Amino acid sequence: MNTSTFQKEQIKKISVSAMGFVFLLYVYFTFFLGPLNRSRDGMLTKMKDIQAKIDSSKGEMNKASALEHQAKAATTRFTALKALNSEGAPIAWFPSRIKVFFASNQIDKAVARLENSNPLKEPELSGWAKYNWNIDIPQADYATLGKALADLENAEPLLSITKVAIHAQPDQGQFQAIDLVVTNFIQKK
Amino acid sequence: MPLNLNLLHEEIQEQRQRQRDPLKIGVMALLLLGGIFFAYYMWNVYRTLEIKTRLSAVEHEWAKVEPLVTSAQKRSAELNDIIKTTRVLGDYIENRFFWAPFLQKVSRCVAPNTQLTTIQGSVLDDNKGVSVSIEGAAAGREPRAAAEDLRQMLVEQLSQSYRDVKVEFKGLEDLDTIASVGGTSMAMAHFALSVNFNPGANSKPAASPAPNGAAPRR
Repeated sequence: MNTSTFQKEQIKKISVSAMGFVFLLYVYFTFFLGPLNRSRDGMLTKMKDIQAKIDSSKGEMNKASALEHQAKAATTRFTALKALNSEGAPIAWFPSRIKVFFASNQIDKAVARLENSNPLKEPELSGWAKYNWNIDIPQADYATLGKALADLENAEPLLSITKVAIHAQPDQGQFQAIDLVVTNFIQKK
Repeated sequence: MPLNLNLLHEEIQEQRQRQRDPLKIGVMALLLLGGIFFAYYMWNVYRTLEIKTRLSAVEHEWAKVEPLVTSAQKRSAELNDIIKTTRVLGDYIENRFFWAPFLQKVSRCVAPNTQLTTIQGSVLDDNKGVSVSIEGAAAGREPRAAAEDLRQMLVEQLSQSYRDVKVEFKGLEDLDTIASVGGTSMAMAHFALSVNFNPGANSKPAASPAPNGAAPRR
């Protein structure tokens, strides 16, 4: 009988010890090691991400500097094209520019009127608009007109003549009346 | 032979029992395990702190690099936009139709016995072609033949620079009017020509047209 009581007590104590062991494991892994490992893993992941970003950034910067070098011609051309257009609203400067241009080519009284302006369809030219102008030249000699148009087409690369109408003047055979429709690409301000 | 009597038998047994007490052994095992766990935990804390230090260094480095990268990315995007825009503008510039060379070619086709009264031309949408209508009057013993000469000259001249050249009469009528060409009275005909072509690859901005509009024909 004494032996049986002794064994029961021992089993109880072993059970308490086992429970203590389980509790220790639970507390240790749940409240100590687990959070610490999670935090460490999180930091490692973050570090990996940042390191990858740093590595890729070096490539990115090299790429940008190479692109800068490659795009030199395009940048110069783009700056030159932008410089073709004056500051301010096109209606304020384009007609007077055309008048001065034709006057310098011995064609007087050239009048430019804005017909309409539209945004361009191409996504690359979203910052640009297409302006259609009517240019009336009441009187010009054919050869002088030809020279003036050649100069205009060469001097204004963003301008294209879409319509030309030349009518001989009945009373003055050597002169013609000219109507032009021109399209000009102008950067939006 | 001496006789050994253990008078402390019960006491020794109790002491042995106390020593073998499972609770005591369990507590000791727990303490030992707790000690090992604590040491392992501290080792992990040390490693974590080390990683945290490295992370701080990397973050610091990234903080220095990030503005540079952002500006480099922004600049790259800007440059790509410029390249694309310049390319599209370049295409537009290259694909323009130049009227001055065309007018020069027309002027070369007009003989002294021919007069043009109207030239109306337009570039079709998306640069698909150019359409021009020319009206005028031709004088000669056979004025219709003079107008046909003009048509053939136009085909010949324009074909040198443009593709798919078509020059067709829209109208050709004899006129009652008599013209004096070089002191000789000649019959006249009114003509209307339709000219269609595609600007070819050779169409480039030319030098200024010749000052003399109508070149003489053979």
